[in-house]
Amino acid sequence: MRYLLCLIALLMIPSGPLRAEEGRAAVKDSAWAAYKASFLDPTGRVVDDGNGGISHSEGQGYGLLLAFLADKPADFEQIWSFTRRELLLRDDGLAAWKWSPADTPHVVDVNNATDGDILIAYALALAADRWERSDYSSAAATVARAILDKTVIEHGGRTLLMPGVEGFSASDRADGPVINPSYWIFEALPVLDRLVPSPKWQALAADGEAMIARLKFGPRQLPADWVSARTALKPAAGFPRTFGYNALRIPLYLMRAGRADRDLLLQLQRGMFAPDGSLVISDLETGAANDTLSDPGYRFINHILACVLDGTKLPDGAATFRPTQYYPSTLHLLGLSFVEEKHPECL
Amino acid sequence: MKFPLIAFAGVTVAAVGIAGFADGDQLRERLGNMIDRTAPELSATFRGEGARGSGGAGTEFAQAEPAETKPAPAEQPPAVDESALRYFASKGDTARLQAEISRLRALYPDWTPPKDPLAVPRNKDDGLEAMWRLYAEGRYAEVRRAIAERQAGDAGWQPPADLIERLEVAEARARLVNASDLKQYETVIEVGAGTPSLLTCSEIDILWRVAEAFAETNRSGRARDAYLYILKNCDDGPERLATVQKAAALLPYATVQELLSYEKSNAAGALEFESIRDDLARRFVAEGERDATIEVDPKYLRRLERLVETEKAASDALLLGWYQLRRKNMAAAEQWFRSAYEKQESASAAQGLALALIDRKAPEEAERVLYPWRDASAEAHATYMAATANLLAIEPPVPLSGDVLRRIAAETVKVRDPATAQQFGWYARALGQPQTALQWFATALRWKPDDEPSAYGLAITRHQVGDAAGVAEIQRLWAGRSERIARLGETEETAENETLPMPEPAKERPKTAEPRPAVSIEAARREAISREAIRREAVRPAPASTAPRRIVRGVAGCRTTLDPSGLSPETALARGWCLMDLNRPIEAADAFAVALRAPASRLRQDAAYGQSLAYLRAGLTNKAAVAATKSPQSRARAVELQTAILADRAIAAFDAGRYREALLYLDQRSRIASERTDLMVLRGYAYMNLKRFAEAKRIFEAVAATGNSDALRGVADVNAAQEIWPRKF
Repeated sequence: MRYLLCLIALLMIPSGPLRAEEGRAAVKDSAWAAYKASFLDPTGRVVDDGNGGISHSEGQGYGLLLAFLADKPADFEQIWSFTRRELLLRDDGLAAWKWSPADTPHVVDVNNATDGDILIAYALALAADRWERSDYSSAAATVARAILDKTVIEHGGRTLLMPGVEGFSASDRADGPVINPSYWIFEALPVLDRLVPSPKWQALAADGEAMIARLKFGPRQLPADWVSARTALKPAAGFPRTFGYNALRIPLYLMRAGRADRDLLLQLQRGMFAPDGSLVISDLETGAANDTLSDPGYRFINHILACVLDGTKLPDGAATFRPTQYYPSTLHLLGLSFVEEKHPECL
Repeated sequence: MKFPLIAFAGVTVAAVGIAGFADGDQLRERLGNMIDRTAPELSATFRGEGARGSGGAGTEFAQAEPAETKPAPAEQPPAVDESALRYFASKGDTARLQAEISRLRALYPDWTPPKDPLAVPRNKDDGLEAMWRLYAEGRYAEVRRAIAERQAGDAGWQPPADLIERLEVAEARARLVNASDLKQYETVIEVGAGTPSLLTCSEIDILWRVAEAFAETNRSGRARDAYLYILKNCDDGPERLATVQKAAALLPYATVQELLSYEKSNAAGALEFESIRDDLARRFVAEGERDATIEVDPKYLRRLERLVETEKAASDALLLGWYQLRRKNMAAAEQWFRSAYEKQESASAAQGLALALIDRKAPEEAERVLYPWRDASAEAHATYMAATANLLAIEPPVPLSGDVLRRIAAETVKVRDPATAQQFGWYARALGQPQTALQWFATALRWKPDDEPSAYGLAITRHQVGDAAGVAEIQRLWAGRSERIARLGETEETAENETLPMPEPAKERPKTAEPRPAVSIEAARREAISREAIRREAVRPAPASTAPRRIVRGVAGCRTTLDPSGLSPETALARGWCLMDLNRPIEAADAFAVALRAPASRLRQDAAYGQSLAYLRAGLTNKAAVAATKSPQSRARAVELQTAILADRAIAAFDAGRYREALLYLDQRSRIASERTDLMVLRGYAYMNLKRFAEAKRIFEAVAATGNSDALRGVADVNAAQEIWPRKF
């Protein structure tokens, strides 16, 4: 079994990012329509309903990626129009991260969130290829260059991704640089490397994966949402010391990119799921559960871990998407598209 | 070739200019290469226009990367779809109708707007008609969506170039406004340069935002060009007025004067900016208060002076008062502060007036004026207490009424001010009331147990009243800490022997000591250099008092420690300067204290100056402040001392975590001297610690622009101080 998995992983790496076949959507029409009806505003804004109805660069990036995976160029165009006009405003070419409908101006924090920037550039690059849009391609390249210039740093022999341009570096914080391991969206890095070639992308991916394998904090042996990389890797001061809503995406990203080895995935699986398959976010010192998340979107991460690790089929009904809240629903569709494309045997 | 952007596709860096036209004559104007490549016949017109201005509005206005590559347009003029006009007109949205017509004229110079937009026929193509409706409603994402949807269903269908162009311009406009609201000025300039059809008189707000972006990124020449463009080309009266107001807020005085020269008069001969000229005068004079190098045209000063007469606003008089004070025109300053105070009593007027009064040696009135305002601010209070100490320190003692003495005493006790308490002690001694003096010295010591002068005052007064046990007690308590207390009661033969051979310095002194014209220039120069430098500089003998000091150094020197209290004031003064040269400031201060008892005001003035410098050098800022008020100083000296004292106080308050107070001192200091870079950084951190992040960031960024590494660090710190990480919930 382990041999088989390694083989699968080897086969997947050179195949690069997820790439829906022409005419075949990795996200089904009905699922995408339901997602859109719940979270996409006519202005092209992806609404984080679990977070006061705000929007952010991450949500716009997820929206663009899902529209691409659903093979919907018109929806992609609609989301992109908002993203460029309302968020892609920073002088350095990155996106402002937080947009609030209740405030004027709507952008309430002009700092960037690098995972949002990566998602936007990645989705634009994929869409540019499939739909032959040179304007998407040049916009993607601009963002990718800014990511390289402003957020990828060398520190202590590692290539690291700063979560934001401001506020996380060694000079900004006593325990800086502070990183967020769930901002490594591994599947995007080779795509951005093709767009804006640089050895840094490869180094970022390799160092990120090696680092995540070593983030085993507390009784549950889990990564922290925010990690100080100043010396030895440890949960960052001034942030909640938790395995939380950020870090729970890590196994999803690893699997989608076909990167992680079995031991790492098993370790994550053991630490983050309750026996009934709900996802436990926990305090890293005590291992105590801060919350138990039973939304189907969170549970789905467990399903695909079981699929990838043991070839277990999805439980009945798990492949049916019903929107709940923006964040778990987004994870649900990303997970579903992964199974559709890479593990149809688990359906 | 109608859409200028296209001409630039593929060009790495293109010089792009403002395009626009005067609404009146529909003249189209463009800049740089774009003109050559799109409308060569207009190029010369615009360049001629630019050459008339002194800086060349016809030169390149902005540099920017071109927008993304797009397919080349058809060569024949595209048909202009007027559906959007019909939608605007049907809603009665005349502003957007007008803006759209102007934008269309910029895009299509040969196009003539329809006489009746409501009569524009509907598109036969319903889908296209719907797109125009969405466009007219500002629902640009939905237009994009509709176009892509239709193309997905009908591979052969191409959206009209007209629709795409206008959509792009509209989206660019929204993006420019968003970036401008967020102060992302590079983005503003990039979008503006990439969308010249937005830069027209009908989009005055966009022109203003682009001009602001230039001004805020230290390209005031380009900002000037943009404002100048408006004044040369745009006709709307209120918008022209607002343009001048905005420019006056962002650009330096001299540039604003140039812009004002483009003022027009109406048919009746009235000048168009007349209605804001009062406000401009106020702004210019206020700017002149902040920056003493600005020579504000006397016509604005006269205008403000007339306003004081007619409108009788205290605030206008105050502006004039501070403006004159900044230029050391103390008599004029006093006049305006007095005028302001009469119109409306205020802390600012009282402070300004007190400064002027102290300058002309009228501390009694200064105390009286400041008294009601002593609690207005920490600075007002400090100034008041300094004034009281000053008043009490005058020699020979000024006879003060019981009321005045009582209120000074009450204030001293209320705020437990050891400096004024000590001065009360000396004052009581001088008036022959040793018992009262004993109480004040003891009180001062209670409030400030390490206050050696109070201990000394207590000791010599006990000595005077024959309280040998009391003297012994103080001597025991201060053993090893004060030589003069230890030596109290000893014979002072040594000291007398040392001073005997000296000549009478007073006889050496030139009779025409005042005024010294070189001083103010020197002081101005000192303002520019660092605090340490100021201190070093200040120690250098002033011309009028060099003679005695040189003689003292040559004859006796001051290396031997002695109690200066037995010295004559002249000898003590010389000894003080000598000790300063040896960098023994505490002893120097004692020597100056002795000199301060001189009857001659000239001598006291030098002594007070010396004592202030001595305390400053020893880091005893509060003592320096009191010393500075012990005798009226020349304006230059007063400013020099006051700026140094306020800087030290600001730093001390900051170090003690009293950030508000630090800001007050900095504000006070900046009223009399321009702010040094290190103090600007201090100010930034004070703001930051008070969580006034925007102000902190602004000042750090301004200083960082000069390459100052502390300020760069400050920018990072203020960012780190805000909670900025994205969270998931």
